[in-house]
Amino acid sequence: MSSDASSAPPNAPDASIFQRLHPKAYLERFLAAGFRADGRRTDDWRELSVNTGSINTAEGSALVRLGDTTVVCGVKAEIAEPELDKPNEGFLVPNLDLPAICSPKFKPGAPAEEAQVLSNRLYDLLTSCDVLPLDSLCIHPGKAVWSIYVDAVCINYDGNVFDATAAAVVAALASARLPKATYNEETNRTICSRTETTSLELKRRPLCMSFGIFDSLHLLVDPSSFEEPLIESTMTIAVDESGDVCSLQQEGMLRIGDKTTESIMQECFLAAKKRRKELEPFIDNLR
Amino acid sequence: MQSSIDRRRITGPEESFAPVFAQDEQNDEQQPKARVGRTPRDIRPIFLQTGLITQANGSAYIETERTKIACAVYGPRQLKNAPYSDKGKLNVEVKFAPFSCRTRRVPNRDAEDRSIANLVHQALLPAVRLELLPKSSLDVFVTVLEADGLAGCVAAASIAASAALAHAGVEMFGLVTSCAATVVENEVWMDPDETEQERGRGTLVLACMPALGTVTSAWQAGQMSVAESLQCMKECQERCTDVHFVVAKALTDSRPAT
Repeated sequence: MSSDASSAPPNAPDASIFQRLHPKAYLERFLAAGFRADGRRTDDWRELSVNTGSINTAEGSALVRLGDTTVVCGVKAEIAEPELDKPNEGFLVPNLDLPAICSPKFKPGAPAEEAQVLSNRLYDLLTSCDVLPLDSLCIHPGKAVWSIYVDAVCINYDGNVFDATAAAVVAALASARLPKATYNEETNRTICSRTETTSLELKRRPLCMSFGIFDSLHLLVDPSSFEEPLIESTMTIAVDESGDVCSLQQEGMLRIGDKTTESIMQECFLAAKKRRKELEPFIDNLR
Repeated sequence: MQSSIDRRRITGPEESFAPVFAQDEQNDEQQPKARVGRTPRDIRPIFLQTGLITQANGSAYIETERTKIACAVYGPRQLKNAPYSDKGKLNVEVKFAPFSCRTRRVPNRDAEDRSIANLVHQALLPAVRLELLPKSSLDVFVTVLEADGLAGCVAAASIAASAALAHAGVEMFGLVTSCAATVVENEVWMDPDETEQERGRGTLVLACMPALGTVTSAWQAGQMSVAESLQCMKECQERCTDVHFVVAKALTDSRPAT
């Protein structure tokens, strides 16, 4: 490795050194020519691929790649006793792990701030728009309910992890098969069938679309890991299959040139809806 | 029982149990004697690809039927908060995804991850030329996405880790390959999956550098006679030579790491 680095003369103009030392100027020069550092236009999304059911130990699973960002999500179903005040409601437990394997910026150990924040946002997304009604997870009121653990693991962190995670979670839930469970009141046990399975009743299938504003001038859709630290404002819009907005998260100053806030919002909503339509074949037919 | 609440993750109910299946209680005792699907000496086909984790200096993804493991190498990077050392430090961390086993693995609950990390570390250590990397650390991260047999998992993780190190351009004496074997009744079965390993009396995982003909680590657990143990080692070594071709092919096919 060391021999590679020393082969170039020390003062040679090298784009990758310029990129590391002056990332902002580097991106500015690209945008001045109408492109981004990875060759995309500002309104180009990266390619999405969804592969479901590849993990046999999970009740449902999905591998999602958004460009190089890779997220694997697995659904495990366990049986628990419901809470006393909610005898008919099961549990939905989503978590996103950003392990040290996915990026040099994460250290091994307990989940860091970013993973905790994103896990919480994921939980909010799933509960606030009622993706999986909790009363559909009831096996026997007051005695047994399903507890659905949705664990997403990021394998490669190349920006916009939340969009990829939301897609992986929805795809894994949509493709999950639970064994048919019956509660026996005499023995006080829940027995499952190996042969009969049911799928989860997903009410809505929200997908997230993220935008970043760079330099108060450019609206970048689907920011990459290089662009993310340079962005001063982000917006994530979740849109379901019928085109309704489920959730919106915006951070930082919303300003692009002399456009009004409303017109920027409008632009993002339209772009998000258009993208949601394009993603239809990946998500909406999953059973 | 949970001793304290994990505030860094979203936690579900206090207690939950894996489903109990109706047929489980009556079935067993009808397992066929001979191995199903492959001969005792066959190992599962290996799919190995390097370079899938673009953020890392080197990476490898390995799949042997149901076992699926991703591995990334970061480094050599500066060793922080540590006294001067003229040799590099090799760190190995193994993580099981919560959905990777039959019952859900609650994060941070057991020490199995660390013991497997130790085995992979042992397998790699003699191969890596750490004396060329003073004051630096090499971090090898392994994520198990699906496990089918612990011994096979250790072997696959070692292969992936060595491929990822080579992909990262780390100098090594040779590629490390690894293979597992179990003794079922009086027969040696290579590369056992989970059910086969449960039937076996003892297992052996051997890691070696086929190019140099040296063994880097051997781990045996359970009951085996000395003769059986030696036979396992011999067969493992033969299979490791086969695996070496697979790893070498994957590395020559890959795009170079950046």
